Amino acid sequence: MNQPVASRTKRQIIPVIELTLLVIALILPLFLQDFWVLFTTRVFILGMLALSFDLVWGYAGMMSFGQALFFGMAGYSAALLATKWSITSVFVLLPVGGAVGLVVAFLIAGIIILGKRPPNLVFVALGTLTSSYVVERLARGWSYVGGQNGIPSLPRLTAGSFELTEGPLFYYLALVLLALVYLGLRILTRSQFGLVLAGIRQQENRMAFFGYKVQNYKGFVFCLAGLIAGISGGLYAFHEGYVGPGQLGPVLSTQVVLYALFGGAGTLIGPIVGTGLVDLFSFYLSQIWETGWPIVLGLLLLVIVVFRPTGLIGFLVSDRERVGSFGRPTKAAPPTPDARHEPA
Amino acid sequence: MEDEIKQRLQSYSRRLFLQRAGLLTGMVALGGGSYIYNPKGTWAADPIKVGIATDLTGPISWGGIPNSNVAKMVIDDINSKGGLLGRPLQMILEDTATNEQLAVTKVRKLVTQDKVDVVFGGITSSMRNAIKDTIVNRGKTLYIYPQLYEGKECTPFLYCTGPTPAQQCDTFIPWLIKNGGKKFYLPSADYVWPHVLNAYARTVIEKNGGEVVGEEYFPVDHNEYSATVNKIMSNKVNVVFNTTIPPGVAAFFKQLYEAGFSKNGGRLACVYYDENALNITPANEIEGLASCLDYFKAVNDPYGNKIQAEYTKLYGTKNPFTAGSAATGMYRGLRLWAVAVTAAKSLKREEVAAALDHAKIADGPGGPSEVVPGRHVKMNMYTAVAKSGKYEIVEKSKGQVMPGECV
Repeated sequence: MNQPVASRTKRQIIPVIELTLLVIALILPLFLQDFWVLFTTRVFILGMLALSFDLVWGYAGMMSFGQALFFGMAGYSAALLATKWSITSVFVLLPVGGAVGLVVAFLIAGIIILGKRPPNLVFVALGTLTSSYVVERLARGWSYVGGQNGIPSLPRLTAGSFELTEGPLFYYLALVLLALVYLGLRILTRSQFGLVLAGIRQQENRMAFFGYKVQNYKGFVFCLAGLIAGISGGLYAFHEGYVGPGQLGPVLSTQVVLYALFGGAGTLIGPIVGTGLVDLFSFYLSQIWETGWPIVLGLLLLVIVVFRPTGLIGFLVSDRERVGSFGRPTKAAPPTPDARHEPA
Repeated sequence: MEDEIKQRLQSYSRRLFLQRAGLLTGMVALGGGSYIYNPKGTWAADPIKVGIATDLTGPISWGGIPNSNVAKMVIDDINSKGGLLGRPLQMILEDTATNEQLAVTKVRKLVTQDKVDVVFGGITSSMRNAIKDTIVNRGKTLYIYPQLYEGKECTPFLYCTGPTPAQQCDTFIPWLIKNGGKKFYLPSADYVWPHVLNAYARTVIEKNGGEVVGEEYFPVDHNEYSATVNKIMSNKVNVVFNTTIPPGVAAFFKQLYEAGFSKNGGRLACVYYDENALNITPANEIEGLASCLDYFKAVNDPYGNKIQAEYTKLYGTKNPFTAGSAATGMYRGLRLWAVAVTAAKSLKREEVAAALDHAKIADGPGGPSEVVPGRHVKMNMYTAVAKSGKYEIVEKSKGQVMPGECV
């Protein structure tokens, strides 16, 4: 029954990473130059998008290449409200972004997940990829939303009469939202619900035989991920001051997949770390080798994904901790670490 | 002996490796360095920072690479002649990678971290739209956009130094009617530039007694044009005013050629075709193609030849200095800006802009140019016809053509 001490300490690495990152994030603007505050804000917003992908892939085992679709549709809707109806309140635009993401995800889920037959992995991947591609093509050709040129020069978000300028203020807004989403997902994925998701990911048929309505679970998770991607998309549009068809398409969708795989899917914290590192790498690489940097970045990602399928976080965290334990601990559950080391 | 050499080589390479590794870590620690082109020599004053944001990688790199080359060439030249206001120019180059999302971050770096005094760049309209707000409104910095485009960009502190629809149509379309005929067909790629350009072209065609038989839009990578070619042939169209773009354009020109359009006396016209674009299609397929731009090699003016020779000496012929890739617009933009800075004796945005509003240069690729009200540039325009893989100038505009934007 005795667990070696090393493995016990290993099991507590994720909370340490989470707390460290949170503390760093909280004090970072004190040390960063203006540009890096903006850069990190962008990482937080895209990190939220990466979280939404991690939820569908890392927990429910659905390969969604459509996260950018929810992200971009939300961004476009918020941008249209701001430019055509002069609504700039953050209390309207972010919920609208989330709602658009949710509704679009629901529609897509209705077609490809909640059909008569349970969809397989490739079906979901191609279904979301094509949806994303089709909508990008439509946006490029539709002059009301600016066509190829997108919608430039968005006004800033406001809270009452207060303007949310990019910088420390926007940074903390993004951080708070990211932290809330993260916390919510952490509770959800470590609950009984998360256990069902893990079951679906590992062995879908068996979960169905147990009597779980697997497709409903998948549909719910897909919509939730759409909601999160939507909030992130609304925020992103106003932080960058611009939306364009690229924000809807397969390129961004794939980028999000890379963020998550690079950092480590199925860990929540991994995709956020991945977002930060991939963006940082690409930034520096492009400074060092002006025309070859995308190749170097691609190779780097390939190496990680091939040799470390668990992502960077896999270097620090054991498989056991990655998979985690679920639900509320009961009396029958493994004893607490202290109890475990009582003399037998 | 051989072993000794081998050993020395190995130790050299190890040293080299260590040096490189050191350099790399240094760069990472300092936040990048090789992208900053520092002025040569020693200067007493701080440099003026010139931000260049262009597509060095991705589908538009054929335009971005000549743009950055020209910028470097002109900046080196200004520095070798004493800089501006006694200060040297430092060029800070950022790769926008044909990706608007990424570009916003890159341009933000230029504006908020490097605190550049001016930004040049962007090739596509979508790129300009993505980055202009970050530069001009949020970043309070001057922005100069070098590419030919569809017009209607009237943002304050944003200057456009490439040709507009008016400049590309006003002299060109009357020439086409005279040297082709009255019946026009407008096959186009489905994005903003062709839509807006065609709207303008249509008014000029009709004003000059021509008629538009058809106007059609295709996805940019469309490759099956037989129905369109059929319509063109059966309607006895005289002029095909093409705005389809690569990769679709190659298939279209081929199918049009094979149907015998040019052989039967039809005139093919395409206003972005320059020396570089001649590589997209075999010479025989576009024999007689007419284009209208602010510069061709064939203009053969002493100043243009000088730039061309200098450029080729520095960068070779792989990414040539042409008008369609915005290289001429970049050249003109930098020179006009330099004139404005000298006149304003300041780098404050408002003061430079006030001087730039009427800045002019006597020489440039294709001749003199001048900023006119509306923050666009009037310039000479040339109509050229492709003859066995080269252009021949067939008409030169009478003086500089007005851009006709934002007035």
